[in-house]
Amino acid sequence: MFSIEKPVGDTVSTHSPALETSDIQATVLRPRPSPYCGEYVILRIGDAAQGREMLRRMLPHVAPADEWWVPSLPGWLGISFTFEGLKALGVPQASLDSFPIEFRQGMAARAETLHDFGANAPANWEHPFGTAEAHVALAIYAKSERDLQKVLDLARKSHADLQQISVVYRMQFGELPDGRNPFGFKDGLHNPHVEGSSPAGAGTEASIKAGEFVMGYPDERGETADVPIPVELRRNGTFVAIRKFHMDVAAFRRYLRDQASSPEEEELIAAKMVGRWRSGAPLVLAPDRDDPALGADGNRNNDFGYADDMKGLKCPFSAHIRRVNPRDALKDDVVAVNLHHFLRRGTNYGPPLPEGVLEDDGAERGGVFLLIGAHLHRQFEFIQSQWVTDGNFISHGTEQDPLIGNNEGDGVFTIPRVPVRRRLHGLPSFVAVRGGEYAFMPGLRALRWISNLGR
Amino acid sequence: MATQTLSRPQQDQTVDQKIQELRQLYADSPVGKTALENSIPALREKLAKGLRSNESAGRVGLRQGKVSELTLIFKFVPGGAKRLRALLQVMGANFGTEKVATVHDQRFVFLDNDTKLLFATAYDGDSWDTYLDEFATKIPDELDMLFSELEEFPGFRDPSVKDWIAKYQIPAENWYVAHPDLTVRDIRRLKRIGKAAEEFLDKIG
Repeated sequence: MFSIEKPVGDTVSTHSPALETSDIQATVLRPRPSPYCGEYVILRIGDAAQGREMLRRMLPHVAPADEWWVPSLPGWLGISFTFEGLKALGVPQASLDSFPIEFRQGMAARAETLHDFGANAPANWEHPFGTAEAHVALAIYAKSERDLQKVLDLARKSHADLQQISVVYRMQFGELPDGRNPFGFKDGLHNPHVEGSSPAGAGTEASIKAGEFVMGYPDERGETADVPIPVELRRNGTFVAIRKFHMDVAAFRRYLRDQASSPEEEELIAAKMVGRWRSGAPLVLAPDRDDPALGADGNRNNDFGYADDMKGLKCPFSAHIRRVNPRDALKDDVVAVNLHHFLRRGTNYGPPLPEGVLEDDGAERGGVFLLIGAHLHRQFEFIQSQWVTDGNFISHGTEQDPLIGNNEGDGVFTIPRVPVRRRLHGLPSFVAVRGGEYAFMPGLRALRWISNLGR
Repeated sequence: MATQTLSRPQQDQTVDQKIQELRQLYADSPVGKTALENSIPALREKLAKGLRSNESAGRVGLRQGKVSELTLIFKFVPGGAKRLRALLQVMGANFGTEKVATVHDQRFVFLDNDTKLLFATAYDGDSWDTYLDEFATKIPDELDMLFSELEEFPGFRDPSVKDWIAKYQIPAENWYVAHPDLTVRDIRRLKRIGKAAEEFLDKIG
């Protein structure tokens, strides 16, 4: 079958080997198309042999990162497995035991670390999130509804005659007008550049070692992952933290209305919370008013740092984008920022709340985020626990992220100003966690390895 | 019943039961017995109010609110105590820990005729391993210098250093923190605010 000994002397080198993009799933390295539509599907495997049969049939349709948007393909399919899913597929016990503890426990069990309390608690999540029923998570992206149906058909056919495979969850997603998120902001603008994945983007930002995002390559600490075992399973694989957020757009608008005395001030407070204006223009480069040309310019809208704003007068310390991606803002602290990145693949769902509406219409809307990295604990869990749901790292006590923090009505948001700062009180939670899972997203050869288990 | 934790029965004990238990244990201690009897009225009052209790910090150790403790006992390598003592004397109180901004205090105590080291510290956060990667990446030499004289030390650049620390960590039986709700950064901020407030009062007074 396979050898379970750990490989001796995984090399630590200063230069990275070339990324095997033909073996890494497209979802890991490539941005989704725009415009886009798609569907997330969660499957339950009641029988290991049937699960592996489904996997064999699905394999030819899983998109690799090199032929990521081949015109002949109608869309792409990404596939990942929860710990329960790997068990259900009959992955050997020694392999299962070698996975990091946070993955084995699953996102729901990590609620205390992740601050998933109150409305965000796993008990309030949609079924089957956080239960032993969620095994396989599929992410299907397409450019049009017709193309999406084609890929969904392929996925369906791979298990239609397998009685022990059941679809336990489906949700559609799609782009909102102007590529904005439900709050009305252009987002998904920034992702770290993975060394060796493609030519570096414009701007001054350094590339991050591939091993931070894909196993089999040196990471920022010079280490190459040695678990899970065997190497056939982990090579070119990674982990995904899946988070589904409902966004209470009406509450966000009402809060801005209550805090501001003019529409201009509403926009300023909103931008201070996010760290960018609605167009995507960053506050550091456009501190006083929105600059749509800057927001739309992919060469400029990420070419900034916080070195010239160390008092937070342009972009507050607590602003969402400064928290989740501090860039050079923490350069004077003992924090190794490059150990705390993830690749963020976000999609929106639900209808937009019409302009100007301040009352909730009861519709479900929000975003689903795939937060991808090789180290769940020091990437997603660190960012969520230290930077999103706490304020100590910026000397802000227990202040949380104003946009995605679990604020429950008594949150505060500090806006540095001269001569005295402004502090907003009574922040509600603008987002509610509807569900989440930790999933393992293997490379293509590893998928084949899993599908051949037991043969 | 399966979910009941080990500490549960104790929590269910009444104050009288707890005190009765202590009385029985201290009956054999001549000085302690009298001291306990004299202290019981005050103790009873405190227990009735509900005391704050220690929580667990990460894998091992205790936590009070935002602050956690880490207590370690290591064996020195031959000649290690002499080297570390010399280093500590040169360093004095200049550890650069201020930069770390999550460490309240740290102490080095040489035990058993310079064969063992007791290292104890109080730090912010619920688990030291959350921040260990930062230290290992940003200040590995500073840390290696301090811990290199101890048995089995793998070096801070080696990920197994986490297991090495956990192996020698001893949880405190009890631990008191005056301000469990204040981190080092909170204290710095309050000092700044206090200073500004005093200056303001000086001007208007």
